[in-house]
Amino acid sequence: MSKLRVVHYINQFFAGIGGEEKADTPAELRVGEVIGPGMALKASFGEEAEIVATIVCGDSYFAENMDKAKEQIIGWVKEQKPDVFIAGPAFNAGRYGTACGAICEAVQNKLNIPVVTGMYIENPGADMYKNKIYVFPTKDSAAGMKDAAPLMAKFALKLGKKEKIGSSKEEGFMPGKRINFFAEKRGSERAVDMLLAKIAGKPFETEYPMPEFDKVAPNPEIKDITKATIALCTSGGIVPKGNPDHIESSNALKYGEYDITGVMELTSDKYETAHGGYDPVYANERPDRVLPVDVMRDLEKEGKIGKLHNKFYTTVGNGTAVASAKKYAAEYAQKLKADGVDAVIMTST
Amino acid sequence: MKLELGYIQIKDIVFGNESKISNGVLTVDKAPIEALAKEDERIKSVTLDIAKPGESVRITPVKDVIEPRCKVEGDCDIFPGTIGSVKMAGFGKTHVCKGMAVVTAGKIVGFQEGIIDMQGPGADYTPFSKLLNLVCVFEPVDGLKQHDYEEAVRFAGFKIAKYIGELSKDVKPDTTETFEVCNFKENMEKFKGLPRVGYVHMLQSQGLLHDTYVYGVDAKKILPTLMYPTEVFDGAIVSGNCVSACDKNPTYVHMNNPVVVDLFKQHGKTINFCAHIITNENVYLADKQRSSNFTAKLCEMLALDAVIITEEGFGNPDADLIMNCTKIEKKGIKTVLVTDEYAGRDGGSQSLADADPLGNACVTAGNANEVIVLPKLDKVIGTLDYVNKIAGGNENSMRADGTIEIEIQAITGATSEVGFGKLTATY
Amino acid sequence: MKYIIITNNPLVRDTYKDKEVEFYDIKYQEILQTVKNKIALGHKILTHPLSGSVKPKETPYKSIMISKETVGANATEVDLESLEIIEDAIATCEKFKERSDKWTPQVLKDFQLVDFTLIDSAIDSAKV
Repeated sequence: MSKLRVVHYINQFFAGIGGEEKADTPAELRVGEVIGPGMALKASFGEEAEIVATIVCGDSYFAENMDKAKEQIIGWVKEQKPDVFIAGPAFNAGRYGTACGAICEAVQNKLNIPVVTGMYIENPGADMYKNKIYVFPTKDSAAGMKDAAPLMAKFALKLGKKEKIGSSKEEGFMPGKRINFFAEKRGSERAVDMLLAKIAGKPFETEYPMPEFDKVAPNPEIKDITKATIALCTSGGIVPKGNPDHIESSNALKYGEYDITGVMELTSDKYETAHGGYDPVYANERPDRVLPVDVMRDLEKEGKIGKLHNKFYTTVGNGTAVASAKKYAAEYAQKLKADGVDAVIMTST
Repeated sequence: MKLELGYIQIKDIVFGNESKISNGVLTVDKAPIEALAKEDERIKSVTLDIAKPGESVRITPVKDVIEPRCKVEGDCDIFPGTIGSVKMAGFGKTHVCKGMAVVTAGKIVGFQEGIIDMQGPGADYTPFSKLLNLVCVFEPVDGLKQHDYEEAVRFAGFKIAKYIGELSKDVKPDTTETFEVCNFKENMEKFKGLPRVGYVHMLQSQGLLHDTYVYGVDAKKILPTLMYPTEVFDGAIVSGNCVSACDKNPTYVHMNNPVVVDLFKQHGKTINFCAHIITNENVYLADKQRSSNFTAKLCEMLALDAVIITEEGFGNPDADLIMNCTKIEKKGIKTVLVTDEYAGRDGGSQSLADADPLGNACVTAGNANEVIVLPKLDKVIGTLDYVNKIAGGNENSMRADGTIEIEIQAITGATSEVGFGKLTATY
Repeated sequence: MKYIIITNNPLVRDTYKDKEVEFYDIKYQEILQTVKNKIALGHKILTHPLSGSVKPKETPYKSIMISKETVGANATEVDLESLEIIEDAIATCEKFKERSDKWTPQVLKDFQLVDFTLIDSAIDSAKV
């Protein structure tokens, strides 16, 4: 049997081109080259498969030219006629992770070629793509390569050979897709078994874990809103013009805190949005549309609220991991509390 | 009170000049069955055929599957309130023609589904591929309204199943099985110390081809009520035919309700199976609130420790399932849910339209959106002219080579939410 | 309970001449969106938006009953339970693939009939 053909996708960093300063490197196809993490995959493939080409693309380039980059890469992949496509692993690099996910999804859906990628569980790409493609969990840094490469390579061989794919537990990828199989016992009998275990207080495993939505119980009402200090916060990316803290346009790695003492409205000459996930024209024209400082000032003047807090907190919700968002909010909630804020209006886009 | 089921194993079905069961072979004379069907002036004709396990045969569009049974002792009838008298059923002796079914088929609406393959990959997904099937394809008189057609097919199926069942009246059963039930007081005394377990059985009740009947009553008009678990064995609950073949229970499944059967197996040993509670899945939201309130109240009044709750259907019933689950759990009664999933073709979407963390013990009958390819089979009983229009099919379902690419939701009984099958799903 | 039926099903419109029906010639998912907009104006949803086992986008028709009365004065409040139900339904609807089938007129009529019987099953319940 001839060797399976593999195309591998990596970013500028793992290709040895450079770090953040080289993240705008355009996509390029390197036929016949095995680069960086490809070496580890190659070692695991043995004689069964070969990397016939490596595609390298800068993370910023991909994020900012998504449609163009995807189209270009898909064209290259198609030419190489691979049996399987591998991206990454991306570890905890957010933009690299989402790029791996996006390109894998495109290759799978447009070319019908099986795909696999890998990344750290908290990489935002994991949540975004684990229900669409096979994503293997890795450590949060490149030190995890020696563990990840053999697992991904072995699974890629299975995909390439069109073998039957088992559950996430059997194969090791992140749980995300429901896979049917025939159980030993019929459903009613399994239900009775589960019921007996539940009655006896013994451990049992539900066959369908219900999604848990993070429902927040409302706080008690504010007794006298006319005396309350109210803060504005947003995931809509409103920042002072020029984005002084460089909040990322997607997968934000930070939040900003900005003083609005004396600011009566957010005007286009002083504020803008850093958000890369919606058409920014209307937000940039009048940032009040996302963070309504003007209306709050009116209410303040009319005596309908006590006052508007003199700082606002902002980040970009676009693809930002829930875990990160939680972390930011938990942090600035403490600051709000310390400043004696009674209530927060959180706007989204 | 006891119900004894006498199982007569049917080993073959043949057509002949005289209907009879002898040495396990069912001989069917077509004429009396055709006459029975045509008692209803809405039916123009019925075509009878036989489909056996392993044959290269596809039956479609399947409307219902019914097991022939016959009362041999007890002052009650099979299919009480439907074609039998409305007397209470579930006691005495009943003969069961095992290993076979009456399958009804007909094109009630143009997007109808319901496939039973007797061979190949499709056969693995339907429990009815393992049975000897006497298939009745009904043609309506011209211009008949769908409501009337549905009702005519429904009743004709029961009459034919009863006719076949009665052939077993004087046949000695190969095996028998006895189910004993008792009243509340006796039950409390006899099984003292065992956990009190109930079955909350949700019945599809939304409209044409989404209905279920209990002693002849449309289930959308009931308040949740109590049954002896043996009543279903005499056909107390029947199907009003279907549009969602994978997870609407055919009458056969009601008559062999697997949750009732499997709870009975533990009854008196590990549990006290003391209540079969039926409820509905109406479209009107206040009805859902009322029914789930009553269901939870009944569980509480009966001092149950735990219940199994089974769903029937997609979407709307998910809301009833979660209401029943949460209200019962909040009364301190443990629940196990049985459902199926619509997680999309790639399995990556949310499975249910509603969810709650209290539903922490859930059995699934699999993702109904899974796509499979059914091979071309030699013979079709019914008609294939609508296959491109069945749920889970698309305009390319019927491929040039005669194979059909389809979601398993088109297969009769594929994702039974009373747990009749072995299909399940995992991450 | 006084109600309004929001529908894209001509059979519902034509049969319920004596009832308050708002007919829109729009897609299934747009009916859900229309109902969501009504909920935002204070109407309550009275029937489950995912009634029926014929899947969204397989049947083009959907009829949903909402309350005529609105919650709160001047429709300033929103019934959160209604909002949650319709939003879940919209999310569920999104996972089904759009089907490009050209249904025959007879099949479309059958879809209309099934959708009609689903909403009709709620009429009696709404009489109280």
